[in-house]
Amino acid sequence: MAKTVLITDDTAFMRMTLRNVIEKNGYQVVGEASDGEEAVALYQELQPDMVTMDITMPKMDGITAIKEIMKIDPKARIIVCSAMGQKPMVLEALSAGAKDFLVKPFDAERVVESLRKIGS
Amino acid sequence: MKEARLDFLRELANIGTGHATTALSQMLNGRLFQLVVPDAQMLPFTEAAEYMGGAEQVVVGIFIVISGDVKGHMAFLQPLESALVLLRLLTGIEQPELDELGRSALQELGNIMVTSYLNALSTMTNLLMVPSVPGLAIDMAGAVWESVLAGAQVTDEVTVIRTRFSADGEDIEGHILFLPDHEDFEKVARLFGLGEL
Repeated sequence: MAKTVLITDDTAFMRMTLRNVIEKNGYQVVGEASDGEEAVALYQELQPDMVTMDITMPKMDGITAIKEIMKIDPKARIIVCSAMGQKPMVLEALSAGAKDFLVKPFDAERVVESLRKIGS
Repeated sequence: MKEARLDFLRELANIGTGHATTALSQMLNGRLFQLVVPDAQMLPFTEAAEYMGGAEQVVVGIFIVISGDVKGHMAFLQPLESALVLLRLLTGIEQPELDELGRSALQELGNIMVTSYLNALSTMTNLLMVPSVPGLAIDMAGAVWESVLAGAQVTDEVTVIRTRFSADGEDIEGHILFLPDHEDFEKVARLFGLGEL
């Protein structure tokens, strides 16, 4: 069965871009969240195998959302996809529990490589 | 003093804009994207809208507030026609006007550009510069300009960096504005041994 993915990004365009890449490569997108709060709620509801997480978002940022999701499920597999690639932010995301950090703009191959690595 | 400040800002702008343009080029799948050397001007902010093509021109503006070790404001402004060209290159779809998805694409593109700029400056200075969720405005340059300056600690003059790109033989124009708060700008300048500017 295809591995399931929850996409989190505040812009519809980026959610669509990620969905295309993810679905083309044999994964199933089970939900889309447009902020951290929604991601946490959808994670609980859908229990996806993996999550892509933006950092800069309204209501709840990605770092807080990672922490919240890790509280619900310490085995959660979260890949950050954010333009904000500054070192302290990358380290904070990884120490909060993210498994990988992709800096936007990223190419499709990098996303797939990360899904393969994290999902296995 | 003013010259030294402008030179320093120009240098920061060269580096930041270089990274922002590289990011843009990557988003366009590496299509050839030439950057004309950025032109930095320090202007009274009443004149800045004129410099950017006139207060009446319709522009697309993406703006963020910066927090962290360096606080300030930043924006990417471009004429609507340029934004539509960029959108077509990005999505492959010709759009006579902006729909929701188009706005969202431009917002993401602007966000990636200004954040790449900040990432470059952060790497150079080892200071954290955290961008806010970007705002998007499509309006006459004068009005968008006021939105950008609302809340910014701009006293009299602003530095505007004009960049020009071209892709597939089409010209795209854009302006990147970096408005660090005064005391944080001094902090960055000191890191480079420039003392009081």
